[in-house]
Amino acid sequence: MTPGEHPDGELSDLNIRRALVAAISRADRERAGQLLDYWAARHGYAAAYKDLLEPALKRIGRGINSERFSLAQAYVAAKVAEDMLTKSAGSFAQNSEQRTAKGPVVLGNAEEDFHALGRRMVATMLRSSGWVVCDLGNDVPAAEFVDKAIEIGARVIGVSAMTVTTALNIKEVRRELDARGLSGRIQLAVGGAVFLVADGLCDEVGGDGTAPDMLEAPHLFAELWARGERFEDAR
Amino acid sequence: MNSLQRLQCLLAGEMADRRMFTMPLSQYSAALTGCSLEEHYNDPAAYARGQTAVRETFAPDILFGPVIVAAIGEAFGSKARYFDKGPPVVSTPAIEAASEWKGLPLPDPDRHPRLSYLREALRRVVAEHGREVPVAVLLVAPIDIPGLVMGLDAWLETLLFDRPAAEAIMQRVTPFAADLANRCFADGAAFVVWTIGFASPGFVTREILQEFSRPVLVDTLARVHGPVVLHHLEFPLVANLDVLSGLPSVAGFVLAQGDNLKRARRLLGADSILLSGPASPWMRRAAAADVEAVCRKTLENRRDDPRFILASCKGDMYIDTPPANIHAFRKSVEEFAGDRR
Ligand code: B12
Repeated sequence: MTPGEHPDGELSDLNIRRALVAAISRADRERAGQLLDYWAARHGYAAAYKDLLEPALKRIGRGINSERFSLAQAYVAAKVAEDMLTKSAGSFAQNSEQRTAKGPVVLGNAEEDFHALGRRMVATMLRSSGWVVCDLGNDVPAAEFVDKAIEIGARVIGVSAMTVTTALNIKEVRRELDARGLSGRIQLAVGGAVFLVADGLCDEVGGDGTAPDMLEAPHLFAELWARGERFEDAR
Repeated sequence: MNSLQRLQCLLAGEMADRRMFTMPLSQYSAALTGCSLEEHYNDPAAYARGQTAVRETFAPDILFGPVIVAAIGEAFGSKARYFDKGPPVVSTPAIEAASEWKGLPLPDPDRHPRLSYLREALRRVVAEHGREVPVAVLLVAPIDIPGLVMGLDAWLETLLFDRPAAEAIMQRVTPFAADLANRCFADGAAFVVWTIGFASPGFVTREILQEFSRPVLVDTLARVHGPVVLHHLEFPLVANLDVLSGLPSVAGFVLAQGDNLKRARRLLGADSILLSGPASPWMRRAAAADVEAVCRKTLENRRDDPRFILASCKGDMYIDTPPANIHAFRKSVEEFAGDRR
């Protein structure tokens, strides 16, 4: 059944928004996809992303932070965004700046950190908003982050850490950037649940910026990328 | 009264001389004996010495076999990373996708070195203390096993988007989970504790809970020949207890620090054992007076409940938890009993 054949076809935009949040909450990826397709057929994929999916993800994102949503629902939310990217690849190409590839950027978990889930979801969201992401996985030594960033020409390194102990390992990435004279030119994004609870941790570990969740991550990366460019221009 | 007698009272629904209390002090015991964690997680004799030290120092009413969940992942072929100051974690899962389960051999609980270590350590603790103190072992329910074998995200992906594959995985895993539990009972475990992350509201939807997790638990628990205690793992669990009540072989639940215990009791009925208290990550940082206050409040809440055990929740007690906090935990129980008299 497609939304076109369903009574939902008659529903207002507001109701479709609600239906999308409900579908993601039920972990119903297929239904969420149908609703987005339906919207895209009328307004285009770029609008479906910006006007329908993004607000829905924001609502869900707030729920995740307050423990009203489960890991499963958060996972579905990221998948729905990924599906959108795949489906819309062709249609974006014609009209939207969203298609101009951004990046590349490097992402990974701090050394000794094995909390893959959040990092993977950040990668998914970055990709679905057009970033080229090189994901180095779990337990990444500081030097490897920086080597990779140089190799691919990344201006932003994103490091995910979930515990206080592993977050402190990010200091090594900062030291490595300093030692090679790359601080400023390559920006350091940090994140993970521990940054929400430990005040001042981002500064303490030498991060250039942080974001509370996957939805804010693309914005943070864009800001840091621009900062890196400005730094370079000023020299 | 010794701990075993207290447990008998509890099971009979009678009040003992004081409340039972416990917390998993597995890695912590290495700090007591000055043993490295490497030795602690490899040498059953060193492990057993640790539990003896735990009993001498804190006298909890339940002792534990090694808390080493990653060992179950290792038994399936995952690689674990060991640390100097904390328990091991699965670093490289054995497989990446649901399709690879088919070729994966099931571990033999009698032969795999990590499981042999776990069981031999358990047997030694039972041999030394089991006549006075019940000994529990913390394992994971079948629904939590794939996370250790294929990684949490691949398991979520399968469970959410390929239910038949998830069910096929359970067909393979449930006999192993039941078998390992039964062998631990044969080794002398008084309880097997199973984490049930994938039945908790923080991990899964109600649909998954009702259509997947519960049926798997019913099926596996029916094959287990001893009392199982289900453990919340990380997030509050009470919201799902309506669906989780009445499971076969289940003696009780370990609930989260924030869980509503009155509601839990209502949902589970009078016979179920309830265990709850401060969370281990919280105890690591809290002041001793706060630990005592939280314990006290929890005891107060369960004042007339004969089947309540004060127990830390979440994971194994951190190795750097101040000893004063563990003493405060124990003191709360002793003083509460004094007040009641
Ligand atoms: C699942 C989990 C695990 C799994 C991880 C499996 C996997 N494949 O990911 C396993 C079992 C391996 C694990 C192990 C451990 N864990 Co753990 N774990 C969790 C748990 C329950 C959920 C984490 C999660 O996936 N959340 C969901 C995702 C979507 O959220 P997220 O990771 O926060 O990511 C979001 C944002 O933070 C942000 N973000 C993430 N990264 C980045 C990066 C950038 C650059 C940006 C901008 C944003 C960003 O976007 C993401 C999406 O919105 C949390 C509990 C909790 N309440 O968070 C504990 C928790 C994180 N773990 C904890 C601990 C202590 C451990 C262990 C040390 C336990 C132990 N004693 O063995 C080990 C350490 C392992 C290690 N060295 O890494 C503690 C950390 C305490 C602290 N603050 O120091 C927590 C908080 C539990 C607790 N209450 O004690 N854990």
